Formats: sequence, structure tokens, C-alpha cells
Amino acid sequence: MFATLFQNLKFKNYALQRVILKSKKLILLLWVMFTSILLNAQVVKDSTAIADSMLLKQIELQMQNNTQPAPAQTRSGLSANPDIGVIGDFQLSYISKGKKNIDAYLNETEVSFQAVVDPYIRADFFVSFGRDDATGKYGVEVEEGYLTSLSLPARLQLKAGKFKEAVGRINPTHAHALPFIDLPNAYVNYFGSGLNDEGLSLSWLLPNKKFYQELVVQGTSGRGESPSFKQSEGNRFIYLAHLKNFFTLNDNATLELGLTGISGPNDSARVTNIAAGDLTYKWKPVKMNTYRSLTWQSEFYYSNAAYTSDLSKNSMGLYSFIDYQVAKRWFLTGRYDYAQKPFDKKIIEQAYSLTAGWNATEFSKMEIEAKTTDDNVQSRYYQAWLRWIFVIGAHGAHQY
Amino acid sequence: MKNKSIIAVATMLGIFNVATAGNIKVVTTTTDLKSITELVGGNKVSVSSIATGYQNPHFVDPKPSYIISLSNANLFVTVGLDLETGWSPQLLTSSRNPKIQKGSPGYVDASEGIGLMQVPGSLNRGEGDIHIYGNPHYWLDPLNGKVIARNIADGLERIDPSNKTFYETNLQAFYKKINDKMAEWQMKMAPYKGSKIIAYHNEWCYFERRFGLEIVDFMEPKPGIPPSPSQLVKVIKEVAANHIKVIVSSPYFTTSSSDVVAKQTGVKELTLATSTNAFDGIKDYFDLFDYDINQLLTVLK
Repeated sequence: MFATLFQNLKFKNYALQRVILKSKKLILLLWVMFTSILLNAQVVKDSTAIADSMLLKQIELQMQNNTQPAPAQTRSGLSANPDIGVIGDFQLSYISKGKKNIDAYLNETEVSFQAVVDPYIRADFFVSFGRDDATGKYGVEVEEGYLTSLSLPARLQLKAGKFKEAVGRINPTHAHALPFIDLPNAYVNYFGSGLNDEGLSLSWLLPNKKFYQELVVQGTSGRGESPSFKQSEGNRFIYLAHLKNFFTLNDNATLELGLTGISGPNDSARVTNIAAGDLTYKWKPVKMNTYRSLTWQSEFYYSNAAYTSDLSKNSMGLYSFIDYQVAKRWFLTGRYDYAQKPFDKKIIEQAYSLTAGWNATEFSKMEIEAKTTDDNVQSRYYQAWLRWIFVIGAHGAHQY
Repeated sequence: MKNKSIIAVATMLGIFNVATAGNIKVVTTTTDLKSITELVGGNKVSVSSIATGYQNPHFVDPKPSYIISLSNANLFVTVGLDLETGWSPQLLTSSRNPKIQKGSPGYVDASEGIGLMQVPGSLNRGEGDIHIYGNPHYWLDPLNGKVIARNIADGLERIDPSNKTFYETNLQAFYKKINDKMAEWQMKMAPYKGSKIIAYHNEWCYFERRFGLEIVDFMEPKPGIPPSPSQLVKVIKEVAANHIKVIVSSPYFTTSSSDVVAKQTGVKELTLATSTNAFDGIKDYFDLFDYDINQLLTVLK
């Protein structure tokens, strides 16, 4: 019994010694911190005195010049909450083939939370309540959730989290902001509902004073699955590079040319490479920009997917649309789609669609779209949609 | 080794000083802020404005090309009060310039200290495009120009304290010119105090208050909602009942609806300048009021 007690004591002693040793380090650390704070505080104290006298002078000066009465009313609605917005997307759809031709559904409910976190970063979250096509049930998904750096040097900007990747023009845009209801066939073939993945994104604003040039490099895990890319069982990631060139042609017209390269693991545990290009011409008369505008936007995709060691498939696809603002609230969009199936480029889809949009206000719009699709395997079919987008709460700006 | 590094640091600081002493690069959201910054900053600043003078400041397209000037700016001046909420926050974030972010010394909210009008008690978008902090078109009162100039001078002095006296001297000159011009403008407008007018959009309340006008109604049934047939009928009745002489509009609105009212009632249409450079000859903030008041006098006489 004594022996165990002794042992315990010894053990406790040992533990105590460790604690003392640790606390010595801690005390040293605290002392260093304390003195440094003290030193700093002294510096601050001096500068405070100067700042105080400067402030006094400034106030005196302001008092002399202040001819303006004090604000009659205080500002309202100040809070530390992030900007919160909810976007509803209700749709009716028709398709000429299959058993179920007509459907009505709340396609998506997107809740956004956006705010600056601290002087170094801002955060953007988009939570989506979407309908699962197979089960018809609603599921919750973090559509995007990322931080953006605000104060990196050398014109760099870092994004970390889950985000829509920088493939041309359609992929980074939220569906409700597109001037049509469906997505282009070629885009769907390669990216499904979108290349939206988890990882890091670094963008660099090139020191070019003549025109805007931005290089984006992204590395993601592949967790956000798409038809072209899957998460690898090993340590392979999806890498993307996008170069954006933006030219101001004159006060009313701009041109954007983008080049993208993506490489990553596919569902055959091999590599898919995609090259893409986008070209956008915009005309918006500065004086009457809320009444008339025109956008001509096209994207081209080329894919090379390896399935086995000696089998790889090449395919390509493109879309091109013209969106014309007919009047202050009316838009017309015509689009052409060309898409080779990634697994067999001999199967070619071609589609034409026309969308009419009515933007009631900045916070609600209604669109109607008709589309015809031809391919060389099945007979022609027709589709139509009606979409009603409505926003409550805060709504951030869209990209130009 | 130590000496070398001291020299290196000194050279770097020297270069930095040379870079800041010459030209302070300022980006403003509107042309009025540009004009006032130029008047206060004199030859120490080079200023560019994102919006033009004839553009609707609510709806400026956030073109990436603006990011280039923002990324190099030392000072950013904004009207604030959510006037530019649809475009400037996005441009600021994309600029990657920590010097001009909200809360940094290089960020100037020109609305600080303005006595605001039409601050809503509650917010309901059923009332149209209303502004949560109050009506943001405050620069259309020349006396508010003084507050704007004070805010801009404060910003310039924060980032360039060595030229403080210079900015203060220019500021005093600006105050004096506003006072002098104000007397002239008030005298011109005095005979027409209480004149009833119709405005296209709710952006004239500060101007209305300062110069003693009375806006009876707007062409827009609610802010941001285009004129509807029923609103036109209402306005036509009001014009007749109140003997209204003029409908006041801005360069960025179509005149088709006011044309209808003019045809029916004989009321005159006037497109006033809402900002500096809206029309040729409006070269600075003072020209803006000279132009608008002279235009108004021609129709109110």
C-alpha cells in the first residue's frame, strides 16, 4: 500500500514538475508578450497625444466651418447581420416526348447570406433548396460557400470554399440571372447543372493598363460531381486556369474574350481535359442603359476524355445567343446549340430556342421559352417553360 | 550588411514618398464628387468618375474596366446611402485594393453628416424602389455640397497629411464660392417660391426644399416603376387643377409619357441636369445649378 502511495506521489511529483516546466515556458512567453505590449503601448501613448491634439484642432476647425445643421434624422436599419436574400424560381414545363408532358414545380429556393467578415475577408453563402428530379423531394444543398480575400498584395485575390468554377460565362452565373430557362445542351453534356466544386481559387489582376486582364487558377477536390469529372480515389485533383480579357470598345460597347483549360480525374479513374473559349459582345448605351441593350455571347467547348489506356474520346460543342432589350422591361433571346455527345461524337444534337422575358422590377421577372431539339438518333422534340423569379431581402449585384 | 539594408529600406521609403507626393489618384462614383474633389484637391489630385454625368447613378454597369482605375486608386469617394448599391460594392471587392475598402482611410462616404430627407420608418418594396437610409440625391442642394467637400477634404488629409493646409485653403475657397453663388441663386428663384411642378422620378427633394419649389406628383406611380396609363390620367388632372407649368425630368429617362401630358395640357417639359457634365457646358458643380436654375426660370416666368 505504501509502495503504491509512494509511486503515486512520485508520479504526481513528476507531473507537477512537468507543469512547473511548462508554466515556466508560459511565464516566459507571457513576459515577452507583456513587455512587447508595454513597449507598444508607450509608442501608442505618444502618438495618441499627438493624435488627440490633431483631433482637437480638427474639431475646432470643423466647429468654425460648420454651417450645416445637425442631421435631422438618424439612419435606420443598422445591424451586424449579413445581407440576407431569398430567391424563388417557380416553373411550368412542357415536353413533347415521354409520358409526363406537363409539370409545375418550385425549381429552386436560394437563400443567400453575404457580408464582410473582417478587414481581411468577406464571405458569401448560397444555400439552395432544390427539387430532386428522381424522387421529387426537396433537398438542401450548399450551392456555394466561400471566403474572398480583400487585402492580399500584388493584385491577388484568394477564394476558398465551395464555388462555381471560372469556366467562361455561364458557369459562374446563377441560373436565375441567365436570359433563358434551360441550360445549353453542350454545357449540360460536360458540366451537368454546373461545375461547382470545393477547393481554392487564386486570381491575379494583370498589371495591364490598356485593357482588363485577369488570370484565375483553381484547384478543387472533385467532390462536386459533374459528367466530366469525378472525385479521385487517390490524390488527383481538378485543375483549372481561366484568362479573362475585357476590352472597352467605346462608351457603349465592350468585348470579352475568355480562355479556359480544365484537367481532372473522370469516372473511369483516368483524365479528362477540356478546353473552352468564350466571346461576349455587349452594347449598352450609357445614357439610356435601362431602356436598350444587346448581348451576343458564345462559348465553345472541346473535350478529350481517356476511358482506358488506349481508348479516349474527343468531342465538342457550342452555343451562341443574342439577347436584345426591346423596351425598358422587355427582353428577347434567341439561342443556337450544337452538341456532340462526349461518349460518341457521332451523336449530334442541335437546338434552337427563343425566350421572351418581362422584368417587372429589379426584384421579379417572368420568362417564357420555346425550344426545339434535333439529333441524329431520335426524332425531333419540343420543349417549353415558363419561369417566375422573385427576390425578397438583399440582392447583390450580378457580374457584367 | 546592416548598413546596406538600412539604405535599401530608406530608398524604398524614398520611392514611396515620391510616388505619393505627386499625384493622389482619386476615383469617384459620380461626376459631382469628381468636380468637388478637383476643387478641393487642386493640382495634388487626378480624379476619374465611374458614372458619366448623363447616366442614371442607380444603374451603372459594373464593367471590369473600372476595376483597373480602382485598383490603382489612393482614394475612393462614394455618394453612399445605397445609391450605388447595385454596382460599387462589387467593383470595390474586385479592385483588390485594401486602401479604398469601406473602413479604410482611403474610403470617403460623402453623405456623412448630411441632414437626410425621406428616411423611411419601415421598408416595404410594395412602395417601389425606396432607399432604406433616406433619399440619396442630396448633392442637388448646394449647401450639402459643403458637407461633401468637408468629407472629401478629410479623406485627402487622412491619406496626404503633408498637404493639409493646401486642402483647407481650397475648402475655404469652395465654401465662399458656394455662399456667394447661393445668394445669387436664391435671389433668382425668390419670385417663384412655392411654384408647383411635376417631376419624373423622386430625385429632386433636396433641390425642391432649398429653392422653395413644390413637387405635386411624379410621372412614376412609384419610384422605379415606369409611368402607367392611370398615373398619366392622374397627372393630367393635377396639372390642370394646380396650373402647373413644368414637368421636370432627367437625361436618362424617356420623354414619351411626359409628351402625352404636355400634348393634353400644354405643360412644358424640361430635362434638367442631375449631375455635372450632364450636358455640354456644365463643367463643374457650380455650373450644374447655374444651368438648372436658368432653365427653370425660362419656363416659370
